Amino acid sequence: MNFEIINPGTTKELLAAVKKFQKENFRFGAGCTDFLMELKKNPSEGLTVINLSQVKDAQFNGLKKSVKGLRMGAMLTAHKIVMNEEIKNKYPVLHNAAESLASTQIRQVATVGGNMCTASPSGDIACALASLQADCELLSTTGKIRNVNINSFFAGLRKTVLKKNEILYGISIPANIKSTKNIFSNFIKVGTRRSMECSVVSLAYHIQTDSNGIIIKAGAAIGASAPTIRFAATACDFLIGKKFKNITQKEKEEFAEKVLSYASPITDIRATAGYRKEVLFNISKSIFE
Amino acid sequence: MIKKLKIIGTPVPKHDAAIRVSGRAIYGHDIVLPGMLHGAILRTEHPSAIIEFIDVSEAKKLSGVICIITADDADVNNIGYKRDHPILKKGEANCTRDEIAAVAAETKEIARKALNLIKVKYKIRKGIYETSEALKESAPQINKFSSGKFENKNIAEKFHYEHGNIEEEKKKSAHIISRKFTLPRMTHACMASSNITASFNNIDKKLLLYSSTQVPFLYQRDMAHALKMNPSDIRVIQPVIGGGFGSKLDMHPFEPICALLSIKTGRPVQLIYSREEEFIASPIRQPMEIELTAGVDKKGNFTFREINIVKDNGAYTSWGATTPFVIMQAFSSLYKIKACRFNSTAVYTNNVFAGSFRGYGNPQATFALERVIDLLADELGMDKAEIRLLNANEKGEATGQGLHYETCGHKECLETVIKKSNYKQHAAHNRQSGRFLHGTGLASMLHVGGGAKIYRSDGCGTILKIDPYGYCTIITGSNEIGQGSETVLAMIASEELGIELKKIKVINTDTDIKPWDVGVHASRTSFVAGNSLLGAIKILKVKLNKKAAELLKTNHSNFDYSDNKIISLKSNDSIALDKVVREMHFSEPNELAIADYFYEPSSKFQDKNFKGNVSGTYAFASQAVEVEVDTYTGNVRVLNVYVAQDVGRVLNPLLLDGQIEGGVVQGIGYALTEELLMKEGKILNPNFHNYKMLTAADVPDIHFFPVETIDKEGPYGAKGVGEASLIPTAAAIANAVCNALDVEILELPITPEKVLAAIAGKKKLKTEKI
Ligand SMILES: Cc1cc2nc3c(=O)[nH]c(=O)nc-3n(C[C@H](O)[C@H](O)[C@H](O)COP(=O)(O)OP(=O)(O)OC[C@H]3O[C@@H](n4cnc5c(N)ncnc54)[C@H](O)[C@@H]3O)c2cc1C
Repeated sequence: MNFEIINPGTTKELLAAVKKFQKENFRFGAGCTDFLMELKKNPSEGLTVINLSQVKDAQFNGLKKSVKGLRMGAMLTAHKIVMNEEIKNKYPVLHNAAESLASTQIRQVATVGGNMCTASPSGDIACALASLQADCELLSTTGKIRNVNINSFFAGLRKTVLKKNEILYGISIPANIKSTKNIFSNFIKVGTRRSMECSVVSLAYHIQTDSNGIIIKAGAAIGASAPTIRFAATACDFLIGKKFKNITQKEKEEFAEKVLSYASPITDIRATAGYRKEVLFNISKSIFE
Repeated sequence: MIKKLKIIGTPVPKHDAAIRVSGRAIYGHDIVLPGMLHGAILRTEHPSAIIEFIDVSEAKKLSGVICIITADDADVNNIGYKRDHPILKKGEANCTRDEIAAVAAETKEIARKALNLIKVKYKIRKGIYETSEALKESAPQINKFSSGKFENKNIAEKFHYEHGNIEEEKKKSAHIISRKFTLPRMTHACMASSNITASFNNIDKKLLLYSSTQVPFLYQRDMAHALKMNPSDIRVIQPVIGGGFGSKLDMHPFEPICALLSIKTGRPVQLIYSREEEFIASPIRQPMEIELTAGVDKKGNFTFREINIVKDNGAYTSWGATTPFVIMQAFSSLYKIKACRFNSTAVYTNNVFAGSFRGYGNPQATFALERVIDLLADELGMDKAEIRLLNANEKGEATGQGLHYETCGHKECLETVIKKSNYKQHAAHNRQSGRFLHGTGLASMLHVGGGAKIYRSDGCGTILKIDPYGYCTIITGSNEIGQGSETVLAMIASEELGIELKKIKVINTDTDIKPWDVGVHASRTSFVAGNSLLGAIKILKVKLNKKAAELLKTNHSNFDYSDNKIISLKSNDSIALDKVVREMHFSEPNELAIADYFYEPSSKFQDKNFKGNVSGTYAFASQAVEVEVDTYTGNVRVLNVYVAQDVGRVLNPLLLDGQIEGGVVQGIGYALTEELLMKEGKILNPNFHNYKMLTAADVPDIHFFPVETIDKEGPYGAKGVGEASLIPTAAAIANAVCNALDVEILELPITPEKVLAAIAGKKKLKTEKI
């Protein structure tokens, strides 16, 4: 199939382009690792692709640390996330999720924004960001920014709350709590292969404990287990005030049950719903082992 | 005594390695001919349907479409091992691959567009996708071209073999185990998708094919039969081939279809599969059910094996139907076995048809056989290593089927992997608990190592020439499909003629030039083509020695060839090889430094009861595998694979490592992840996303220990190695998983889901008992 490509070089040009094409058939292309596959499957006539990868603004493709936390431009690549020391030390869940994505080659171009906007239930970076309770910046053609918590960002299977005149501009993750002494943070990806694998089930968690080992903040999100990535709020609440190292077998299982209550998996070619549930329960327990 | 070798046994890199990695290799996909058209094939929408009509009129109107053919336009013969396969289907579709029409157009895009404009009206039928359904009296005949010589209309092929007295051996058995094993569809997934470029010359009526076939001379004959031509009017040139693994042993319909498009248009036509098409329309490893009953006496000696196999043949019959030749060898002759009765039936269904695949039925057989050995050992309370050592094959043995083991490294292979993997220690400490459980498993294999006489000749021809500059050209009948045979042949010539490697050329891609050979399969090329080359060298040396003696003024012929010179072993006088050749050419006797030789292995065509020494020699191997099973997810991780293989002699350790590692990884895929999933005749996962071929990140440590038995039949004592490394891997992995979990695995691949089900099944069993 054929399509037109527009290559804005700045945010301003980008917004102008989005505005110009409001009435037409247009799509954004970031790393295009999802987008091209989708086009191959469902070719679209008269399409214009607005290529995001030539936009030079650091706000859109860079990474910035502040007291509030960490802000990533939507065009930050998975590779850059993997290479960032701050992320590796403070948010291991995000580092591990990015590192588990596809392969070295794909990670060079795949972006965090693309992973979010594809809104796949098995998006690995998106799942990690959900456990971190990230905040999404949606920039509209008017130049205004609308902030949406990641858990409200996904509207359904492959659907987001983005309007036609909006782009995802950046994602911020809150800083770890000051009194945090230890972080238990990881991305558990279950699949057959060790690379080039799409999650069959995934669990992202980021748990902070104080100097007494008491859990003061907990985030856990599940992937490939429901139409969207889901934040397991009651499971997280359940952990607050408990001593991480002293979680009993019964509590582990209660936590796992609570996580499981957010799952409504399907049976597809990669796994049965029953398998997904069983494994999600098991890996939820495994956090404390 | 063989003299000290200089090149043979050294790690010479593949001579085309740099060409390949720098992108200079010319694959079929790279060929562009003047005026070339692009072909595309319309396949059926339904695996089983009546084709009521095909309307190509709209498609023909599309600008750039040059030719469209359907069965009505083709005056051709059926193809396939049983000639039961029409290249274009008429009246009915029987399999999701079925070719309904083909287009030749100016561009690929136009050709694809034209396919969408072809209208076909189908009347959908209820297909038959289970062999048990196909064998019912009420089932319709699936393939109307079948021979009909069997008791059921849907049986495509049968084999029966036996030796020894089964009933007697049953009586002697202390334990008898009976199990049914189920084996999946696996696909070759060659990196280069299937391709062909056909160029028919309207003037001299000759057909030129650029084809990736593994068997150019059989292919030439098959193509001629299909197109009703003379074989010698068809010239087959093989461009660089991006993966064979058996997939290119059969000629497939797209090949004569492409030739037909060229014949009809008088222009070259190229047809290249997309990746999806490659998954859907290239052959697979035979899915089968194996019922195996085996016995053991109270001392641990194997007594008998009784085997019943039902293979899903798919809609048409390919070479794959003959895999029982190999399967029965494993059952009749791997480990000493006093009696064996073997039956196999290939049954037509509306599924995709199987072809040949590295191992040729042997991985399936070995899985069943080696699983049952573990079960027999458990029954006896005997060590799993000991029972294997006790029954291992030996040098000098003549098996019930008539295979003669002039050399045999079976025991040494077993001992090596048992020792190197610390098998006994691991197996003894197997009371574990917790999330991750470890297990170890053993398996051996037997495979032909010196070709396999399943065609009238298992031979290979060589024409050898040395030019006046001292360069050597080897024109060999054998083919390079990536396995490195060109490198090995050049090494042999270098060793024997003392010519440096860079002065040696191997010509092997053109049926108009090269002498006959049966093809690359059965792990035969180094063995057969190597021996053929050695034969030609011997003849050429007689000529060279004569001239050298004359020039060196001596009357003996005791010469050494090294450093591009011929050296008298008596006087140490020497003369440059190129000079000798020039003197041969340009003075008396004015002859060329050329020799030709046709090598036919000593093997015998088997009698009608399948008895006889079918190969020049036999290869043995054992593998020990360590796995870690995650009982939370069901994932099996292979940690270490220990491989000991009787290779006769190591010709090139680098290429050998490549064969071993590649085979093991393919074996792991077969064991754990790879399966072409089908539902009602359709393939559900025609892509790498869901067809789980392993990646580099999944490759475990592979520890390889070659065992050299120096077989007098082989070149320098070498045996075939290409298939062996894949054959025992899945069996060893299955044994390791069973060892880790104390469960039974009867099916491949051992997916996480099946592992969890097996664990749950066991828990249930235990609680029920309490
Ligand atoms: C071989 C392979 C393996 C893969 N493995 C994994 C894996 O392991 N884990 C995983 O999570 N994913 C995987 N993916 C999917 C994909 O690589 C990731 O989702 C990646 O992060 C997508 O990023 P991208 O920049 O390529 O997005 P694109 O393909 O460019 O875009 C994806 C979608 O988002 C939209 N979009 C992109 N950026 C924006 C924006 N800023 N604002 C609004 N809309 C936007 C696009 O229009 C498009 O609809 C794999 C893909 C391939 C091809």
